Amino acid sequence: MKHVLFKKAVLAVFAFLPIWVFAQQTITGKVTDASSGEPLFGVTVLVKGTTTGALTDFDGNFSVEASADATLVFSYIGYSTIEVLASDASTVQMKADVTNLDEVVVTGLATSIKRSNLANNISTISSESLTGTTTGSTLDGALYGKLTGVNINSAGGAPGGQTAMRLRGISSLSGNNQPLFIVDGVYISNVQLTNGSSVASGANAGREEGGSNRVSDINPEDIESIEVLKGASAAAIYGTRANAGVVIITTKRGKAGKTVVKFDQDVGFNTIQNYAGRRQFTSTTVASTFGAAEVPIFEAARDAGRIFNYEEELYGETGLITESRFSISGGNEKTKFYFNASKRDEDGIMKRTGYGRNSLRLNLDHRFNDKLKVGFSSNYVNSTAERGPVGNENNGGFSVGYNLALVTADWEDLFPDENGVYPDGRFAATNIILNRDLIDNEEEINRYIQGANFEYKAITNENFRLKFTANGGLDYFQAKTFVYIPEFQQTQRANQNGFVSAGNTNSLQLNYNAFAVLDFTTNNKISINGQFGISYLNFESDAIINQTTELFPQQTNLAQGNSFAVFQRLTEEEEFGIIAQSTANWDDKIIATAGVRFDKSNLNGDPNKFFAFPRASLAINVANFDFWNVEDVNLLKLRVAYGETGSSARFGSLFTPLGPTSIGGVPGLGLPTVGQNNQSAQLGDANLEPEISQEIEYGIDFSFLNGKIGLELTGYKRDVKNLIYPFSSIPLSSGFANEIRNDFDLSNTGFEIALNANPISNSNINWNTTLNWWKNEAEVESLGVGEFQPSGEGFSLTFGSSFIREGETATSLAANIGGVPTIIGDAAPDFEMSWFNQISLFKDFDLTFLWHWKKGGDVLNLTKLLSDFGGVTPDLDDPDVIANPRFGTFGAAGYIEDGTYVRLREVGLFYTLPTELDWFERVRVGVSGKNLITITDYSSYDPETSAFGPSGLSQGIEVSPFPSAKQVYFHIGFTF
Amino acid sequence: MKNIKFIKIVGLAFVLILSACSLDEVADPNQPNISSVTDNPTEQTLNFLTQGLESKARSGLGGFITATGSIARELYSFNASDPTTTATLIGKDGVTLTGSEPQLTGTLFARYQAVKSADFILDGLEGSPVSDTKKNGYRGVALTYRALMLLDVLNLLGDNGVRIDISDPNNLGPFVSKSDGFTALRSMLDDGFTALQNAEFSFEFSTGFDGFDTPETFAQFNRAVAARVAIHQEDYAAALTLLDDSFLSLDGNDLGIGPKRVYAQGGTELLNPIFKTPQQSGDQFVVHNRFINDIQAGDTRINKFRLRDDPVARDGLNGTHEIDLYESATSPIDHIRNEELILIYAEANIQEGNLMDAESALNIIRNAYGLGDYAGAVDETGLTDEMLYNRSYSLWAEGHAMFDLRRYGRLNATFLPIDRAGDIVHTQFPIPPFEVQ
Repeated sequence: MKHVLFKKAVLAVFAFLPIWVFAQQTITGKVTDASSGEPLFGVTVLVKGTTTGALTDFDGNFSVEASADATLVFSYIGYSTIEVLASDASTVQMKADVTNLDEVVVTGLATSIKRSNLANNISTISSESLTGTTTGSTLDGALYGKLTGVNINSAGGAPGGQTAMRLRGISSLSGNNQPLFIVDGVYISNVQLTNGSSVASGANAGREEGGSNRVSDINPEDIESIEVLKGASAAAIYGTRANAGVVIITTKRGKAGKTVVKFDQDVGFNTIQNYAGRRQFTSTTVASTFGAAEVPIFEAARDAGRIFNYEEELYGETGLITESRFSISGGNEKTKFYFNASKRDEDGIMKRTGYGRNSLRLNLDHRFNDKLKVGFSSNYVNSTAERGPVGNENNGGFSVGYNLALVTADWEDLFPDENGVYPDGRFAATNIILNRDLIDNEEEINRYIQGANFEYKAITNENFRLKFTANGGLDYFQAKTFVYIPEFQQTQRANQNGFVSAGNTNSLQLNYNAFAVLDFTTNNKISINGQFGISYLNFESDAIINQTTELFPQQTNLAQGNSFAVFQRLTEEEEFGIIAQSTANWDDKIIATAGVRFDKSNLNGDPNKFFAFPRASLAINVANFDFWNVEDVNLLKLRVAYGETGSSARFGSLFTPLGPTSIGGVPGLGLPTVGQNNQSAQLGDANLEPEISQEIEYGIDFSFLNGKIGLELTGYKRDVKNLIYPFSSIPLSSGFANEIRNDFDLSNTGFEIALNANPISNSNINWNTTLNWWKNEAEVESLGVGEFQPSGEGFSLTFGSSFIREGETATSLAANIGGVPTIIGDAAPDFEMSWFNQISLFKDFDLTFLWHWKKGGDVLNLTKLLSDFGGVTPDLDDPDVIANPRFGTFGAAGYIEDGTYVRLREVGLFYTLPTELDWFERVRVGVSGKNLITITDYSSYDPETSAFGPSGLSQGIEVSPFPSAKQVYFHIGFTF
Repeated sequence: MKNIKFIKIVGLAFVLILSACSLDEVADPNQPNISSVTDNPTEQTLNFLTQGLESKARSGLGGFITATGSIARELYSFNASDPTTTATLIGKDGVTLTGSEPQLTGTLFARYQAVKSADFILDGLEGSPVSDTKKNGYRGVALTYRALMLLDVLNLLGDNGVRIDISDPNNLGPFVSKSDGFTALRSMLDDGFTALQNAEFSFEFSTGFDGFDTPETFAQFNRAVAARVAIHQEDYAAALTLLDDSFLSLDGNDLGIGPKRVYAQGGTELLNPIFKTPQQSGDQFVVHNRFINDIQAGDTRINKFRLRDDPVARDGLNGTHEIDLYESATSPIDHIRNEELILIYAEANIQEGNLMDAESALNIIRNAYGLGDYAGAVDETGLTDEMLYNRSYSLWAEGHAMFDLRRYGRLNATFLPIDRAGDIVHTQFPIPPFEVQ
């Protein structure tokens, strides 16, 4: 049946084609900005009711085949969409609309909705605002400050990123705090790889190794737009993967018309943002800190001019950044393509650190006929990172930052002698210069992401439309990690005698979904849209780490040692969901949506039990009612949305595992020791159900003066119920390190304001500005058992830790004061605010800048605790500090600092060459910077920090990180 | 009409997909699960658990030695990663212990993990298909280790007592008083000893238990542990009786006899946590100067201390010597050795009034270390001082001094030097936070 129908459809198309072609003529015209008169490049011109279209060129000109009585639809990001009769289309003026009311936003898995009809505040980031100002190495880093409700912390400034992105506060404690990333319909992995260096450094877990998270593989330049579903009310349709929000990434695709070839070259420099500083010693302070015997050594070094600044020695490099991008895009009405090849090379601010990414993308779209179209997105990425010996420590001797603070003296001479022999560190457990020069910490990823989508319009009547869509894809990567510590290094000598850790991870994520979508329009201007579909995903990963110690001299091969260890970690996740959603729209006046998703997952105790995630929303466009007569307010929308999402437990939470433990070659079994095979002694729960997030979001949106000013006010309350967490305050005497529990409730309450405006728009200046303000408070509502230290979110309470206590914020920091766990700070900011500006001057200059103000948010500065104990903190000679020693007087509370900062996150100035050159259609040059200015009282490297990688809470605790860098770039771009 | 058929077909396809998509329950692909040892374990499983217990029973020694050694002013631990060892443990500026010190929590966690291993064995025996004599073998070993582990806990927590019953992680037993704790440990050891009388071992021991790997010889180790418990309990008469069935040998050449914790390179092995690279900075056990100053002339136990090339002066603490107890990172560490049994024998005899026996036992130790016979007053005070002197040097940095000083009322500033103004001497650890829910 199906085939017969299909053939008939194809036949019908061919039968009418000749007539259709004869009726066509070529319509040409020019599109300009209504206020400045500037030609608009890249405007989509579509013949209404068909799929025929074209794009404007640099001079705003277009030509399209259409009949004379056809209507042309002109759409362009940032401008109001207009419809013009083909006969009147010779000159078309478009008006800027900073509120993007006509923009189409993906809300269901298979449907989309106009922004003006949305019931949720969904932020959309265009490629222009993502990478238009400056380039950065990673996608998630490029998002911060550009939308409300987002908080981003970085585990350090190592090139390649290690970013924790949080949407509207805390969603989970067990690791799914990162949003779900979907690229062209493919669920992509954002795991942080472990490289096994924690075995050498003794860091408590792989999370503390400071590895990058895998979303960094996505080339930001490939992205056309990003939609961020921040909470459950918007993301309910994504079910059990969406508790922390969803980031939907759409990559660039070809457009019919002239083939566009572009080449861009960036050259930039990494330099440290801020030093923590070094204490300036005198003979007296050397004696009081290091003993009288040290004084002559210090004085000799001083007299010989051999006092160094090891902080600058480590982090004072200027790292060269180069990035080249080449793209070709184009096609015709049937087939379109976009190809991009890019290469980025980046050196860090420390010698022997860096990041490289080679990315190839080919996006193809093909339209068989008016009914059937397919699209493919293929992306291959090769990325490498050399991250250096950084991160937390427990064994000593690995992390340069840790051993710099605890404690390297600036009068030690740590440089190699003429035979290349490095002296030992005299106070620290290592020579940090040797570590920098000789320890390897590398990763290389080969990744392939393939997406495919299919759309078949089965019925296209005026009042009834039915289409079927299917899309899916895979994300496969193979990652190699390598860590090497030479056998003669101070802590290796006579212990492990050298360390090689080589890891190999294979990860494959498959997902697909299939939908039937119905559209039904009644005569009284009510349209009803329904979608029904299924979704399936299957994720597998296999991480193997091999380690060798007792190395033969100078050997870095796994086989060239005498003691071997192997770790393997497998995960298998499988989920299936059924989705139904319906939207009813009365003449763009009232828009109501209701939907439900049923999900089951093998991460739950019962893998075949369905859990329901409902949603409902209502938007009322008051300004669209006939009674509305306020001319200057063209949009007044009241909206409310409710939705539920879930999160299943992390893989393995159902189990209570044992681990191998051998003694002198005799094998044995017992509860796992800390961190062994990345498995803690966990008391699992075989009956887990997903944690549930319930969010109500409400708001009011305005658009004034025909889109010149837009204002969005949004409030929300999100309750996360039955949170799954490893309860790590289970008594030690149970023998277990944590117990998987499912009985913790928290709530996030927040408010977001977005103000967009186009205050100046004339032939010389066009200024678009966006002011965002947002805040979130996460409160612990109820706990099944007692208060606790979230697993892996801090050290002992002696040093301070994240802490969960009923009635307090979920972002609390606590320390043990006099035997009592006491709240000493709150890592969540009071509010955040950003100001984004795009200014076009005299047609040729484009100036953009983004300021970001984070107010409040405490940071536990454990770098300073270390350097205090080491006696090298710069302010130790300050009389106030002498009178009130931080640790001695206040314990860990002495290291709580206000993390407020104001930062010039991005600034860029571009100039488009005025002369028409023969070879180029356009040449653009520019200069830009990232994080150039930071104003803060925070005394260490960067208040935007976390010692614990991207998962979990990832907040406000700094332990000798890789310092953050700032970047300056020079750009040149050619369009052929 | 065709459209409707088409919809029906697609609808049917969806229904088929829904019903076909049944997800499989996943078995843990990464490691064995607890159910494999709790549900009627096989002999092989019990053997792996018992061998695992020997391994677990050597974990967590680094924190234990750091904690007890620092508090008793045996050593300073200059730790590469935890800077608080020289602050909290030595009572810098009068800081009191909170129970969340990583040296305490790490030690307790390791001890209770071993206790849990012992419980897995004891709980699994009932439904296990192995013979009764083999069951007695497992039981004897499990109970002996269980008591040995809990003794460290009880000693660290002192008057705060000890938790004995941990069988249900969600309903742990109470912390019993110190004296009830000692009584419980003694009866645990007695039960183990009884089981070993009619037992068979089918599991392996590491080389550390060479000479103690049969039910008869392991029973001697059991009695030695019981004797150690008895002197902490101040039940000196019992200590002497228990020593009779232990491996006590009053021969100066046999001081080193006893079962050992062994260490090895390798993924699931442990390295000797007390060994520090010679002359290493940053991560080092530095000998408290009182041990250098107070040692009797000619005492060869000075060889436990190595003169540093670079004297240490950090955080207001000074030292000239570093630890030289173990040759390498794979050197074994004694669980209990004959040297300690002789000292227990001496101590019990002093307390029981058998001063001559005590003196001759002390002389065995003295002579072995190049010292002549004891020349001081043969009375309780003199011999107690001499016994404590020998315990402090013979068992230096092995986790005894803190409790020895405490037992004799000497764990205080009267008997111990205060190195920095404001330092205080701790006597016991609080129960860690969260132990009592």
